[in-house]
Amino acid sequence: MDINVRKRSHVFLVHLRGPLRLGEAVDGLRKTLEELLGSGEHNLVIDLSEVPMIDSSGIGIVVRYLATTKARGGSVKLLNPSQFAVRTLKLVGVLNLFEVFDNEEKAVESFGRTAPA
Amino acid sequence: MGSELRTGDAGSEQRELLSVSVPANAGAIANVSDTVAEILLRLGVPEEKQMEIGLALQEALANAVVHGCGNDASKEVHCRLSSDSEGRIRIIVSDPGPGHDLNSLPAPSLTPDLDRDHGRGIYLIRQLMDDVRFERGGSEIQMWKY
Repeated sequence: MDINVRKRSHVFLVHLRGPLRLGEAVDGLRKTLEELLGSGEHNLVIDLSEVPMIDSSGIGIVVRYLATTKARGGSVKLLNPSQFAVRTLKLVGVLNLFEVFDNEEKAVESFGRTAPA
Repeated sequence: MGSELRTGDAGSEQRELLSVSVPANAGAIANVSDTVAEILLRLGVPEEKQMEIGLALQEALANAVVHGCGNDASKEVHCRLSSDSEGRIRIIVSDPGPGHDLNSLPAPSLTPDLDRDHGRGIYLIRQLMDDVRFERGGSEIQMWKY
């Protein structure tokens, strides 16, 4: 899996390419998110537009980091998940935990409204 | 990879498309998932069905590696893919573990612990495939897509 990180304002945009599944992909994402959180920033947008499939270990990691970031005043928001990814997240009952966007600008701006003063 | 004809458990004639044993590690099962995806594509299986089978297979293989083999790469996971004359796809994934009662796993929505990947995986398999059976005390899963 390719993982590309950009920063816009106080938000990290994490773009993933490839299946998010057990092994290299999930390990790589965990390492990346751990490093980002270590920098002190807890506002994350995960771009799923090029992720055709998320397995249960992939779901587990995004749910875990959603909880971690929320506990620190931030959040994990999802950008452009595929229809199948949305269906998968819905099937296991976690889709409603996330804010989902189809526009990067709006995803970034949404943190501005909730960012601490 | 073979193409022999066999009589399946459901009594229908099965054409074996893949029979492979791989080390119990995530990289090896990713290769199996990718190989199966290529076979399904060649068979002309509709895209949505390919995705459903692919995710169910990934979950079954991951379950075998993590829970059946305890992430011990010296152990092997076995996967068989076949289809019958009506185009129904059968996948069997087995591991050398002792198995356990997978029927007792609750649906994820009933599970307060959001960290339970295992329960989610089995639940997804049941949702994505048309028929799912556990054999050999839970160390073998047989699943069909019609």
